[in-house]
Formats: sequence, C-alpha cells, structure tokens
Amino acid sequence: MNQPRILIFACRWCGLIGADAAGKKRIALPTPFRVIPVECAALVETDAIIRALADGVDGVAVLGCHIGGCRYNNANHTAIKRMELLKDLLDTTGIGGNRLMFSFGTAHEDYQFEEVIKNFFDELGPLPSLGPWLSPSGVIR
Amino acid sequence: MLETTKNMARQILDEKKADGILGLMKGQWDIIQPHVFENPAELDNLVLEPKWLLAKLAMRVLRSSSENYTLAVICRGCDERALIELIKRNQIEEKTLLTIGIACSQEQAALCLCDRPYPAKLDAGEAVSGVDPLEDERVRALLIGNDTQRMEKWADMLRRCIKCYGCRNSCPICICEPCKLEDEVWVQRGTVPAEMIPFHLIRAFHLSDTCVACGACQEACPVNIPLLWLQFSMRKTLRERYGYEAGLDTETKSPVLSSAFEKPDSDREYPAWIHSLRERDGS
Repeated sequence: MNQPRILIFACRWCGLIGADAAGKKRIALPTPFRVIPVECAALVETDAIIRALADGVDGVAVLGCHIGGCRYNNANHTAIKRMELLKDLLDTTGIGGNRLMFSFGTAHEDYQFEEVIKNFFDELGPLPSLGPWLSPSGVIR
Repeated sequence: MLETTKNMARQILDEKKADGILGLMKGQWDIIQPHVFENPAELDNLVLEPKWLLAKLAMRVLRSSSENYTLAVICRGCDERALIELIKRNQIEEKTLLTIGIACSQEQAALCLCDRPYPAKLDAGEAVSGVDPLEDERVRALLIGNDTQRMEKWADMLRRCIKCYGCRNSCPICICEPCKLEDEVWVQRGTVPAEMIPFHLIRAFHLSDTCVACGACQEACPVNIPLLWLQFSMRKTLRERYGYEAGLDTETKSPVLSSAFEKPDSDREYPAWIHSLRERDGS
C-alpha cells in the first residue's frame, strides 16, 4: 500500500522545535513527510496549501502554538479561523476537509508531535487519491 | 418602481447631491447598456432590468473622474453589498458615493438563489423574502454523497473551464493587482482547462469572507459552471459561527482578520488561562 505523503508547515517557535525534539529522541515515525519551517502559523497562505494539494500531496498539516501562547500574540487565532473556512471549501468540493490538519503544541511536546502525525497518517490512509482532480491538465508532479 | 427611481434620480440631479447617476440606459436600437446620467432629460431612457452588477463600474468611474465627483448608483441588494465591500477595501471613498436601492422580484431572487434580494437602503420597490440556497434541490444534489462522488461531480463541471478569467473579471470584489491567478507560482500558465484545484479553489477562497453572493461569476461563465455554489457553505459557516455576512455595513470587519477575543467562535471552547493574556493586551 502506498503511504500518503504529508506536508507539514511548522511554526518555528513551537511546532518545529517539537518536531526536532521528536527526531532527537529517535521516535519512530512514518517516513513520507516533509517539514517546512515558517515564522508563524498565521503566515501559511491558504493558497500554498491548495497548491500543495494540487501538486500531489495527500495531506497538509499546519502546526502552531497553543491558543494564547502564540509568539505574536493573537496571530494563531486568525490562522485557525482561516483554516477552518478552507476546510469548508475542501469539503464542498469533495477533496475532504480532513486532508487539512491544524494542531497546537509547544516546543517540548515531542510525543504529541508523534501522536498527531501518526493519527494524521492513519486518517489519510483510506482516503481516495486526488487523481480525478489532477489528471485533466496533465500535471502530476 | 421605475417611476419612483426616475423621480428620485431627477431629484438628486436637480438638488446637485450627485454629479452623475450610474444606471442602465435603453439606447439606440433598444440596446441596454450602463450609462452615467448627468443630464436630467436623459433619465427618460432609464431602465432597471436586466440585473447588471454596476459596483466595479462605479469604482472605475469614480477613479477616472476628478476628486470631488460624486456618483449615485442605482443598485440592487447584491450591488449595494459589493459597493460596501469596496468601501471597506478603500477602493471607493464613502463620501463620493450615493445609492438608490431597488428591490429584486421574487423570480429574480429564485433565479440567483439569493438569500437577501434587497438592499439595506431600500428606495424603490418592495422587499421580497429570500431563498435559502442550501435548501435548493440542485445545490443539495451536488452537495450530498461522499467525497469521491462530490469530487467527480465537481471535476466534471470544472473540466469544461476554458480559462477565460471571466469569473475573476466580472467579480465586483476581485480587485487585486497583480492577480495570483496570473502568477506561474500558483497557477500553471498556458494550459487549458485550468488546473482544477489551484485555479478554482484559490479564486473561491480569496472571496471566502468577501463574497456577496451576487452570482456575477457564474453569469459570466461561458460554460455554465455554478461557481457561486462553492461559496455557500463558507458563507453559512461565517453566518453561524460569527454572525457575519459580507457587505452589510462599512464598519464590521471580517472575523477572519480579528482574534478570538474580539470575535469568538460560537462553538469552540478556549482554555481559561488565556484570559490573563486578554487582560495584558487590553482587548
């Protein structure tokens, strides 16, 4: 079975350090994921998520700080509001809102990172491929 | 309704409240076209049908004329909401704009699946009750079923796209310069049909909290893709969760731009310790 491919946008103050710590502790994780560090979860453009899905990524995770614990005061509030609207759009079109995950964590929560990612892999596994959406223009990269 | 509108427009021109009236004119050979009426005598040719979105045109007229030029726009509900959204985005100065609000007929409301077929400032005609778009048979037929079925239905429709950019150009609120849909980073250029996920979803999401449900996108679409239907569930979420609807007044900002303190979600619980942050920020 093909494992789903995941793209992770991790805020560099919380999510990224958590992911790093998970690596240092040698926690066993499913392999096909990439982490892209961003300054803040609110800086992740929804367009980038859409573009990633179009380029053949099966799921996108956005990791930010806890609500109220954001380095930039209230920035992650706006991020989660935006992501949930995008989930609505993905649900409408049948891509499925569960391809987008938003999670909060702090820098020392490496085991939480492990659990979040493993659960996300489990959720994406049975989902159909985005094939019908990708083929007509002839680009599956 | 037509007489009331004409009288009102005449009054505005006579009292010099506005320098021009933007409306539809039946001209030579009965061709109907938008026109800026500056002379009261011209107003005999004023017509109200068909539905024609004048908001973007009003923006262009105001931009190309002198600074003190004031324009009165004969607008329907959706048109008024679009004008308000443009004022919010600093594209139109509020003091240079007057509106003459006219109500839509029941048939027009049913045709547009409009839930608010009347402007806030109603001057002519009687407001009819709106239609709930998510209750409509055709919309329901599209939105039921599991993800794969829905994806196939949408893919079938979007595959027809000839990438004419009509949806973007006709939208009264699509005003960004430069546009992301013309950027190679986001949307592949030079291919038809448009890449389905990036092109249509980026366009739809950019309007998520601004869409006034005027339906100009799908009226402009030469291959009849129901583009407005992409927006319904997002509009519903905004209404239910934050009590927000685009274009109702110039003061309320989109909840997506504010923090959870200023505009809390109705169905999410926040941990108690964030209240200390609220006190620190004074918000």
